Amino acid sequence: MSGGSFLWRGAAISFRAGESIASALLRAGERDLGADGAGARLRYFCGIGACQNCLVSVDGSIAESCLTPASDGLKVDPVEAVHG
Amino acid sequence: MARPAEIVCDALVIGGGAAGVSAAVELARAGLRVELAEQRASLGGAYHRQPSGTTATTSARGRRQWLRLTAGLAHFAIAPRLRHVFLGVDTDGLGLLDDREAGRVRTVRARALVVATGAVERILPRPGWQLDGVMTAGGLQMLLKETGEAPPGEILVAGNGPLNIALAADLVRLGRPPVALVEAGDPAKNLGAALRIATFPGLIGEAARHLARTGFAGTPWLRGATVTAIERDGARLAVSIEDRRGGSRRIHGDMVALHDGIRPNDFGLPAVSIGEPIVVRAGDCREVLGIRGAEADGIAAAREVMALLSGTALHRVAPEVSRQRRAQALLAELFRPVREHDGLRHLPDETVLCRCEGRTVGELRAMLAGPDPIGLREVKLNGRFGMGVCQGRFCADAVGEIALAARPDLAAGPLSRDRWPVRPVSIAALAAPDESRGE
Amino acid sequence: MAGIIGGKSVVVVGAGIVGAATTYFLSKRGFHVRLIEASAPASAASGAADGAVSVASKRPGPMMTAALRGIALYRELEREGLFAGLFKSRPTVMVAENDSEVESLLGHAAALAGEGMRLRHLEGDALRRRLPGVAPHVRLAVEVFDEGHAIGYEIVRRFIAASGVPVERDSPVTGLAANDAGTSVAAALTAGGAVEADHFVVAAGGGSAALLGLSEAMRPRKGQLVVTERAPALAASLPGSLMSCRYLLSKDAIRTAGEASGRRFGLVIDPLRTGQFLIGGTREDRDDTGNDHDAVGRLLAGAVRLMPALARLRAIRAFAGVRTAIRDGLPIVGRVPGFDNLFAAAGFEGDGICLGPLMGREVSRLVGGEAADLDIAPFAPGRFERRNLVA
Repeated sequence: MSGGSFLWRGAAISFRAGESIASALLRAGERDLGADGAGARLRYFCGIGACQNCLVSVDGSIAESCLTPASDGLKVDPVEAVHG
Repeated sequence: MARPAEIVCDALVIGGGAAGVSAAVELARAGLRVELAEQRASLGGAYHRQPSGTTATTSARGRRQWLRLTAGLAHFAIAPRLRHVFLGVDTDGLGLLDDREAGRVRTVRARALVVATGAVERILPRPGWQLDGVMTAGGLQMLLKETGEAPPGEILVAGNGPLNIALAADLVRLGRPPVALVEAGDPAKNLGAALRIATFPGLIGEAARHLARTGFAGTPWLRGATVTAIERDGARLAVSIEDRRGGSRRIHGDMVALHDGIRPNDFGLPAVSIGEPIVVRAGDCREVLGIRGAEADGIAAAREVMALLSGTALHRVAPEVSRQRRAQALLAELFRPVREHDGLRHLPDETVLCRCEGRTVGELRAMLAGPDPIGLREVKLNGRFGMGVCQGRFCADAVGEIALAARPDLAAGPLSRDRWPVRPVSIAALAAPDESRGE
Repeated sequence: MAGIIGGKSVVVVGAGIVGAATTYFLSKRGFHVRLIEASAPASAASGAADGAVSVASKRPGPMMTAALRGIALYRELEREGLFAGLFKSRPTVMVAENDSEVESLLGHAAALAGEGMRLRHLEGDALRRRLPGVAPHVRLAVEVFDEGHAIGYEIVRRFIAASGVPVERDSPVTGLAANDAGTSVAAALTAGGAVEADHFVVAAGGGSAALLGLSEAMRPRKGQLVVTERAPALAASLPGSLMSCRYLLSKDAIRTAGEASGRRFGLVIDPLRTGQFLIGGTREDRDDTGNDHDAVGRLLAGAVRLMPALARLRAIRAFAGVRTAIRDGLPIVGRVPGFDNLFAAAGFEGDGICLGPLMGREVSRLVGGEAADLDIAPFAPGRFERRNLVA
């Protein structure tokens, strides 16, 4: 797999081969991942899928950004935008 | 419609770190049909994860270990199931894997399970620990290993234990020394333990290298100190730090990495069982022994499984495991916090306790203030502590501690139970038709 | 019995919703109550229920009458403030997906209307407008008004807190001891000793069977349920709980293919106050509280078929409760024959949350020497042969 870019809130974020969505967002300075459906803030925390705090909507489905490999053309948004 | 059938094997190994891989290889060596499941897109676990095409952050010895383990996988033609998140074992004895690539849950009929899901960090609640930019030290280290670089911004590392030193050293090596390393213990003063740890040359060598790097970069190393609050200050974070004499100071940064030790990552996992399916645990998920212990414990777990499958009980003895247990005890002593633990009595009421649902320490204390001797399960159900999507992973210990501090008469017990799914799972994946269901 | 009336102490066995309600109403009447619980409040069926406060699935008869009164009491206690914030008033929407379900739903709706229930039929555009998230293949919906939802363990907690009675936790009652004449119960036996009182109420769910000598009449009936993560927008698009009218078939014990094991599937999708969905449930003739992939997968497949957007959410928790069912489908409520001071209230199967508060109040009236307010004759404990009642 090679690098590429995905969309976050509609803007392109570039990523490297083997990188998770969370890592690419943080390297781009995106620390605030928006809110979940109930208004609680989301952000990167544990990095191993345990805390469930870094959820994002990936092509419409909720997933942990730390466990989801970035791939070209994904549409990534805050959970609230999809499930608010 | 053709559907992939249930996966049938002798042993299902959960976790592709050192313990899981060594267990899988050892089981295959004995002739068993092995499946190895890993939640990430690559193997390696917390220690051996590597950025592709960049300099490794582990030692030469670590690299040799990983080459040996992965050669074993190749030799026995074990194709790991990547991006398969373990959900637990159901009442029919089926192992459940959430195949994130295919978007469906796969059922595994295995005679034995080796659970090697590693450790999870212990993070004490502090005012402001829920803010974005605050992450666990392990979480930050994961980012470094994934990309070979640190995310932009100034980083403060705080908490307790050797991992923080390792992280600070990695940051120094990447040209991004932390603005401060805040450590609750005083490993520089605890000479007795430090000298005894010298009998574990590997450990002291690593620790010394870390210390040297951190020191050389001029990072303030505040020992016997704790972070009492993190606040947002414009676009940055203001971190309040209290020293051992009660003096306080504030340091600004863009990110804060917290870490107060590690514990087995065993939330909701199926109980150890000697009946089929046999369930054993290996590596840090059984007992935190670090990378040296993990490989040996994986092999020991595999041998235990083989003994149980052949109907004999095996007392698990692994000299390396005992050795690493002594080493971990010494490390704990070396890093023992300077100030006595107070059952989190110092936390202000407004401190967020449950990160998922924003429930606070004050709300927990209020629940416990009545005359009725309320139990932990009632605290969970009625207070929604441990009811959020993380299922209590980051609040259960603190909830128990605060509750017991407030009510010594409280009926203790685990806040989380052995139930699947141990992780949230897509409904589409769970509802995917299964040919055995005849739909 | 005359000698007992006026006695002011009561032992209530079981801190589920029925025992908690009984304790609350007895305390209000001035009784001194000891609430003795085998483990912890709401630790069995009350803590693992679907929370329906509903008449919609009932057929005309004593259970429907009781359920109507049960809902009325929820509203009354909400107005009084006791249940403030705990009772979610919402309709139940029953849906039919094919011809035979349409026929069965039309018949059922006619029966409900005949009993004076407020309801309306939804088809075509009206159905789509009212239920935008429901799958296009759904043919008919019947919206039954004036129903609600409550979470069992929250109600239990509220009753207990309001009663001021401390729960005696982890104290299984192992038997009841009669007086010398054999006409009254003298004490409840626990590991901590015999607990004497003027009156005894057994509201111990499945644990009541042994205490009342009714093991032959009582059956465990397990139900598996799933909770999703929060999705407030989707939850708000559903006016109330969505119930497949297959649920009616399930309750009538019509066994469909592959369920010879005594497992039936109903389907209710309930949007909770938290923005989560509660999806249930099975009815199984077993008494464990585990979940299996087959059952959970089938439940969720059914849920997604009815409401496709659920596929994009995640399940965060699965659990199971064991209801206590009675052989003839009716609960046991009333004075236990042969003893002038022993009362029972158990065996509500899936209706404990709906009926618990009401039955607690009824039992408190009986203990106080008054007649029940509801016709509880069909629920009389004496309709079954008892064995070995008292130690």
